[in-house]
Amino acid sequence: MTPFELAEPRTLREAAALLDTDEPSVRPIAGGTAVMLMMKMGVLRPARLVSLRSIEKQYSGIVSGPAGELRLGAMTTLSALERSAAALKHAAVISRALRSLSNVRVRNVATVGGHLAHADPHMDLPPVLIALGASVTTLAADASRTFPLEQLYAGYLETTLGRGELIAEVSVPRQGSRRAAYLKCTLRSADDWPALGVAVALDTDGAEVRDARIVVSAATDTPMRLAAAESALRSARVDDAALRRAGDAAADEAAIVSDVHGSAAYKRQLVRVYVARAVRAALAGNPETRD
Amino acid sequence: MTAKTSTSGPVGRSVPRLEGRAKVTGSADYVHNLVLPGMLHAKIFRSTVAHGRIRRLDTGPARAVHGVHSVVTGDEIRTVVANPYYGPAFHDQPILALEKVRYAGEPVAVVLAADPHIAEEAAHRIVAEYDELPAVFDEVEAMTSKAIVHEALKPAGTFPDLKHLEGRRNTNVALDFHLRRGDVEAAFAAADHVVEHTFRTQQVLHVPLEPFVSVAEPTGQSLTIHTSSQTPSFVRGEIARLLGWPESRVRVKVPHLGGGFGAKVYVKLEALATALSLLARRPVKVALSMEEQFYTITKHATTLRIKSAVMGDGRITARECEVWWNGGAYADIGPRVTQKSGFTAAGPYDIENVRIASYALYTNLPPAGALRGFGIPQLVWAYECHTDMIARRLAMDPLEVRRRNMLREGRPQATGTVMRDAAIENVLERTATQMDWSRPFDRGDGAIRRGRGIAIGFKASISPTTSVAIVNVYADASCSLYCSTVDMGQGSDTAMAQIAAEVLGTAVESVKVVHPDTDVTPYDMGTLGSRSLYHMGHAVRRAAEDARDKLLALAGELGLSPETTPVPDLFRKKYGMLAGNVVGVGSFIPSYKSPDHDTGLSPDVTPFWMVGATGAEVEVDTETGQVRVTKLVNVADVGKPINPKIVKTQLSSAAIMQLGFTMFEIMNFDAGQVTNASLADYKIPGMLDIPRSMASEAVDTEQHNGPFGAKGVGETGTFSVSPAIANAIEDAVGVRLTSLPLTAEAVYRALRERRGDPLKDE
Repeated sequence: MTPFELAEPRTLREAAALLDTDEPSVRPIAGGTAVMLMMKMGVLRPARLVSLRSIEKQYSGIVSGPAGELRLGAMTTLSALERSAAALKHAAVISRALRSLSNVRVRNVATVGGHLAHADPHMDLPPVLIALGASVTTLAADASRTFPLEQLYAGYLETTLGRGELIAEVSVPRQGSRRAAYLKCTLRSADDWPALGVAVALDTDGAEVRDARIVVSAATDTPMRLAAAESALRSARVDDAALRRAGDAAADEAAIVSDVHGSAAYKRQLVRVYVARAVRAALAGNPETRD
Repeated sequence: MTAKTSTSGPVGRSVPRLEGRAKVTGSADYVHNLVLPGMLHAKIFRSTVAHGRIRRLDTGPARAVHGVHSVVTGDEIRTVVANPYYGPAFHDQPILALEKVRYAGEPVAVVLAADPHIAEEAAHRIVAEYDELPAVFDEVEAMTSKAIVHEALKPAGTFPDLKHLEGRRNTNVALDFHLRRGDVEAAFAAADHVVEHTFRTQQVLHVPLEPFVSVAEPTGQSLTIHTSSQTPSFVRGEIARLLGWPESRVRVKVPHLGGGFGAKVYVKLEALATALSLLARRPVKVALSMEEQFYTITKHATTLRIKSAVMGDGRITARECEVWWNGGAYADIGPRVTQKSGFTAAGPYDIENVRIASYALYTNLPPAGALRGFGIPQLVWAYECHTDMIARRLAMDPLEVRRRNMLREGRPQATGTVMRDAAIENVLERTATQMDWSRPFDRGDGAIRRGRGIAIGFKASISPTTSVAIVNVYADASCSLYCSTVDMGQGSDTAMAQIAAEVLGTAVESVKVVHPDTDVTPYDMGTLGSRSLYHMGHAVRRAAEDARDKLLALAGELGLSPETTPVPDLFRKKYGMLAGNVVGVGSFIPSYKSPDHDTGLSPDVTPFWMVGATGAEVEVDTETGQVRVTKLVNVADVGKPINPKIVKTQLSSAAIMQLGFTMFEIMNFDAGQVTNASLADYKIPGMLDIPRSMASEAVDTEQHNGPFGAKGVGETGTFSVSPAIANAIEDAVGVRLTSLPLTAEAVYRALRERRGDPLKDE
């Protein structure tokens, strides 16, 4: 690791301004769990790191918003989110997913914003939050915008964030009676990166699904919604045939890549099986929001 | 030679580990923490090609980095070590590459700097160009390949059975071992069934959590090496040989190790650290990162062909085994693996007619050596899968086939050595009992199917090897034990202290175990192959007995009662105060007869046998191929345990390690380059991977020629895990995997094959 400059701005806007530069090796650092690994491997050799640790405290909070949404500051640590009573009440699937996300040492320092912005498709929260309909609010030196989380991802380790644009907050809408599940499929050790992640959130009416959001990750370059699988379930009674249709649709439409976890052909089969199982798991669980 | 335990002494009790407190409080010594005045850090620049001639090496940009002390290449190494080739079996490995590189990752140059980050940064700036040569990666192809890894074989003089290989050219076969017993052809001709299979194992890594590290410190006319090594005595001898110095000028010190598993045997970084420190005339630390361990030493990938003549009643009358060991670019201890493990390739079975051929091959991959089992887990993988496949062919119970062919006490093993104190039968039966083998078994339903399997393997202790120990009794009756056995986590300090305390009749805590320091502690062949407890255990016992006898003689000389006089009173009377020492010395080497070169036969091939069996229950997800091991039972013959608790943890930890090699660990290569050289991409088992039900048992037995009836245990738990699980998978879903690891994708693909609907690649 070579020497680098460390800036520690006091505000998020100041940080955004520092990152608005032509020098591509100037990078933000929050928890540092990904940045430090990349630096150790020599793939990232920054001239300057802009640390977000001293920015305004409001970006480390978890609060309920006026419309019943849950707002997560980008600097909230994953363990704070894991232990948050508000998050558990709002969408228990988040708390469940966090329990097997990496390990406690990483969760203690890694942040929600860094986790999302790293854009590694093996991360656990992006598919979960996309399934829950979350949106992100970003801040640049002179602008701010809010957009659906699924629009954050452009490719493997690539986001749609502009130069000097930072995630400020994530908003998870009220879930009400929706039911959700996240299944993580690891093929080597239990603590391995997932070969596949599947998150589903279902709006149900008795045994009938009114609406479904289905997201795959890890096997694809970015977390992605599976529209055909979603429509296969929409307004359908969930029985074995419907689940098979949804699984087949998911396997057909997911853009799967071969890697160290397995061949594309095999992972397509995993998608087929895990989408059906995730829907089943969601239906077997409780409504997400506990009032 | 036999010593009996008293009922009240420390031997046979689960004494807490002596080093436990130091380790959990972070005060134990490790070489990684050692800082010496003026010390330089070395960073290695490695080859990016698998086989090539070095056309150009430009170190200029690295030398220009501010803060760099120097950049060292193979040519400069030659100015301090004229013939810089080392290795335990062959002197084939250069300290830094000379003219040629033979694997991707081979050290080519080194940057020295006071700041390790500067050394690393500068190492990135070295430029090398190679004229690439054809490379060979597969062990079977290496037999006939036109790509030749070494122009000529260079056996080390130390092993008489390798002498005939001197100067042999145009071959990748470093050693071929053959065993011939009986008339194999006639038995195959007369057999009811001839069953033949080929199996493969993958290249894997030891992954000690403490990566390799050595510090060399020039001290006037001498040199001190602080190193994370399992073989301090060997390191001293080999460094002295390289330098042309007497051994007395080389001092090797080894504190605690953060794991070894066979990786840290013989010379690893010590020769490099030595040469660098002599060039720089300053202490030099060479500390590898976790990633660099992948380029240092690995476990042999193998191909194993096994063919058996079987009668209708399940009796095996002949067996032919061919084993190809992928040794990588440098032989390391591979030729020993080929022979010392090779002769057990036919399994723990009583087979009249046996033919074994075992080949150590050079390839252009990172070198392979010893890894917890010394080749035995690869062999057991083949012969215990094969045994189950025979049972299936004959529609017999796999347990029954094993019973019918069991190598029993008093019968000759394939080498002709008669089995003594090898509780093969007892271990097998206890495994069957622990598995409730005769009870009905729940086979699952829906997508999840259940199965169970057993396997049993054995190993001969490497022989002949020597251990020496010294016990120094102080005037206050406490004592020090000087022994070069390395405690790398296996609990040897505690076990050796228990033996000394047992003989001397003192408390274990009053025995201080002096860690290996070749200026102080006497010779030991090495902490490897589960040999320490038996060999060093005997040496410690004899040293303690020698000290005890001298104390008794002293009492007699002083006219005091040997039974009732406290030890301090002896010294007080002898020296007029609490002063002086009584020093006891013990050494041990077992009897041994080298196998005949042509037949591989020997009447006395090993001082003891290790026997390990595994029973496994699995759940297979037929929709995804995922396998969950729900129960793992490991039963072993370890003689009489010196410390039952440590024995149990040795068995279970070995089994968990082998579980990783069985289920998912694999080094992936692209044109000889490891593509998953990090713990992010090479996964080892964690706590959550340990089966829900796990049992380890040492059967009630005794090694009659062992110290207090004991023998080694470090490797035994690895032997049979892989085939037991593969056998359980076939029992569950009817598919047979013949290559490790048993990944979910491999199982799923096999299921689809079986359904006549193979998975098509995209």
